[in-house]
Parts: sequence; C-alpha cells; structure tokens
Amino acid sequence: MLLHYAPGSAHSAAVRIVFAEKGIEPELRKLDMVHFEQHSSAYLAINCHGTVPLLEAEGRKLFESFAILEYLDETYPEPPLIGGDPRQRYIARKWGKYVETHIAPNLAIARWAALHGRMPAEAQAGLANLLPERCALWLRAIDGFDREQLAASTHAILAAGQRLAGDLANNPWLAGDAFTLGDAAVYPHVAQFETLGLPVPAAVAEWLRRVAARPSVQAIREDLFPVAVMGPEPGRWG
Amino acid sequence: MLEVHTWEPNANSGKPLFCLHEKGVPFTYRYVDMGAHEHHAPAFLAVNPDGTIPAIVHDGFTMTESTPAMEYIDEAFAGPALRPKDPFRRWQMRVLMRFMDNVVAPSLAMIASNRLAAPRFAGEDPDELRRKLDRIPLPERRSTWEKLMFQATPPDDIAESERRVSDAIRRFDGILSREEWLAGESFSLADICVFATFYGLPLAREDEVNDAASPHLMRWLRACHARPGLQAALKMGKGFVTQRAADVRQKLGVAEAAA
Repeated sequence: MLLHYAPGSAHSAAVRIVFAEKGIEPELRKLDMVHFEQHSSAYLAINCHGTVPLLEAEGRKLFESFAILEYLDETYPEPPLIGGDPRQRYIARKWGKYVETHIAPNLAIARWAALHGRMPAEAQAGLANLLPERCALWLRAIDGFDREQLAASTHAILAAGQRLAGDLANNPWLAGDAFTLGDAAVYPHVAQFETLGLPVPAAVAEWLRRVAARPSVQAIREDLFPVAVMGPEPGRWG
Repeated sequence: MLEVHTWEPNANSGKPLFCLHEKGVPFTYRYVDMGAHEHHAPAFLAVNPDGTIPAIVHDGFTMTESTPAMEYIDEAFAGPALRPKDPFRRWQMRVLMRFMDNVVAPSLAMIASNRLAAPRFAGEDPDELRRKLDRIPLPERRSTWEKLMFQATPPDDIAESERRVSDAIRRFDGILSREEWLAGESFSLADICVFATFYGLPLAREDEVNDAASPHLMRWLRACHARPGLQAALKMGKGFVTQRAADVRQKLGVAEAAA
C-alpha cells in the first residue's frame, strides 16, 4: 500500500492515525501543500481531484478520507475502530459526514482568512487543470471570502464545538466508551482550532488532550499544523 | 419500536422508507408535512431540534443523518444485506453515496425546489415568510429557504447545478455500462441513495434520461422501479410523489408489483 499524504492536511493525518492504530506502516509519498504540489500535473494524473490523501491499494486508487478509514477497518479488522454496536457505528459515521459537510469546509475558509492565504501567480496558472468545482472554490479564495461568508464559517465552527461537546458530555470518546474512526476523522481538524484562535468548549479541550496522548497521534504530531489551503466545498444548498 | 418521522418517499426524506421496505422491516410512518412547514414546528422539533427530515427513532435512539442511518438499518435488522461484503466494493458504495449527498442531490434539490416550491411563495406576505424563516433552527437551512421564499437563488448557481446533474447522469450511465448495480454485482444502499432522487428523472429530465441518451441508466431505473420494496415505499406517499412514480413506471413499461 502506498499513501500519498501531505503534512498539514487534516484528512491525511486521520488516515495516518488509523494506520498507526492498526500497527501498519504503508509506504508514504509526501506532497508539499505549501507549494501546491497537490495541483501538480504529476499528482493530478494520479488523483484528478487534486486533494490528499490518496491510498493506492490492490492496484486501485482510493480517495475520500472517511471511506478510506472504513476500507482500512474492514480490510484490517484488528483492533476494530468503527464502533462496537450499530449505535456507536452510526455515531462514528455521523461524525465522518459532519466533518466533511460542516467542519472542514468552514475551517478552510476561516484558516485562509486567519493565515492571510495567498496563491502565487504560477500556481494560479495551474488552477485551470483542476475539476471545475475545485477551480471555482480556489478562485473564490483568491478573491477573498466576504464578511458574510467568514461570519457564517466562524458560526459553523463554534456550532461544531457545541455539537462535539454534546456527544462528549457523558463519554470519553465521540461514540461512547471506545476510540473510533469518528474520533480519528474529527480530531486533526479540531486540533487546528486553538492555533487559529477558535475557542472550544471545555469538554472538547479535554477530549483533544485525550486524543493527543494516543501513541498513534503522538507519532504524527509534527504534521498537525494549519496550512492555508481549501478544504471540501461548502454546501451549496442547505 | 421503530418510528420514521419523515415527508414523502423522496430524496433524503425517502431513504429510510426505501431501505426499510427493501429489508422487510416493519415500522411506523409518522408523516411530516413539509409543505405545511411541520418540520419547523414544535412537535417535530421535539424529535429533532435541527428541524431536518428524516428522523428515525429506534428504541429511544434518534438518528437524523439519512446515509449513516441506512447503514444502521442494514446492521441492526434482519433481511437481505444491502451492502456488498468486499471492502473495495463498500468503498465504492460509500464514495458514491457521498458524491450523491454532497454534490448531486443538493443540485437537484436546488433545481426542483426553485421550479416547484419558489413560485408558491410569490404572493405571500413577506412578514409572514420572515416569521416562518425565524422558526428554522439551522442557519444553512434558513438561508436556503430564504432564497426560495424570496426567489433569490442566483441564476448562475442554478446553471452550475444543471451542469452537475448532467455530469452525474453521464457518470452513472458509465458505471452502469460496466456494472449491474452502482456498487457492483449486488443491489446496495448506493442504489437506494441515487434512486431516491433519480426515480422521476425519465419525466423530469427526459432530454437526458431516455433510452437513446442514457441506456444503461434507463436499464437500471427499470430494474429499480420493478423492485417490490422500492415500489411499496413509493406507494406510501400522501402527496404528488406516488402519482409521479406511477407515471414513470407507465412511461418505462414497468409492471405494478403484487401488493
């Protein structure tokens, strides 16, 4: 197995955490997002979405990080990480979806603003090679997000913190008494909040410390920094 | 006890209905009239404070995310398996559902609701519409309804949605030229996820969804419409969906399944 990943990519970190939890070391190919290597023609030939991570396994190329996490859990069942019963599995998957629809897109927008994101002209020239929806999102970023969008994104991030706190009120982990793919998927994103000046409720801060203490997370902690890049597209219709 | 609080057998609202009928699991259907904004009224908000449908309640456990809830239904109840066994096939199923949920279904919803729902608000009192908006808990849903009520969806957004839907039709037709079902050799949740919004396309987008332009998608639509489980779910509606589905079956030459 070969994992294409980038330091600073929260989605990449989630996959690396799960590999480490499983005790598996894939071959790694590192991309430099600071220099937009994920948009290079060499990488786009492998993954037309121009996003990381991408897992090459059994001659196939797998994208979409939460689906990769489930693939790994089903291919390497020990230790099981999707949750011990259907309720826990629902909660893990609910968070796998929420991180894509609500957390990652809004974090990317808030992060772009907080880090004064910019794209050099030579990288902008390469945007035409992206899929139209990815290209459109990057062009919006380069133009700068308006105040209304920034307010909506900040609100969504704070609401996500409250929602996380709700599920953590009586549990050490998001889906209950065991660490699951839900924790692995959400953690690398929320771990960036503090650096960007985005507050989290106390229950979430405690959970962040609990996740950070896991050896699987310790092993990649230097890769958890924020980079001014776009995430998934924000929802276009509610 | 299993209760499904939802609107019609359509899109997200229909996913649990289709899924439970395919599994053969009995449940109580609590109809939420979206046209009357019942999903933003106190009785439903007591079930799901987010005011989104569907809400599925199984022995006190409430689920409001329709795709993860379909996986729950497949795991928690007996009946035919609705997910492939092979991990790669499951990956395909999940990626396709994600594409459907995040890209295709919202585009179709934008197109359909602007065509069907937006004109209904044209003559209404703006203050009353504002009061209705104020009852919507989630800001992203509120902003969507605001665009509908005040006919404020940018035309460029609708054009982009049209592009995405046409692209998805071509993409699914390509998959179905190679595979029997969307995630391979067996019917799965991916088929339910797509069928829930595609069932009516032979009428709604007949220029693109017909035997000449998208023969593989048409073959799949006939196979889905002929399934007794999906048909039974489509017959549960209380509004236009049930008649619409019957019209599509007639157009496709699909027989009515025995009740």
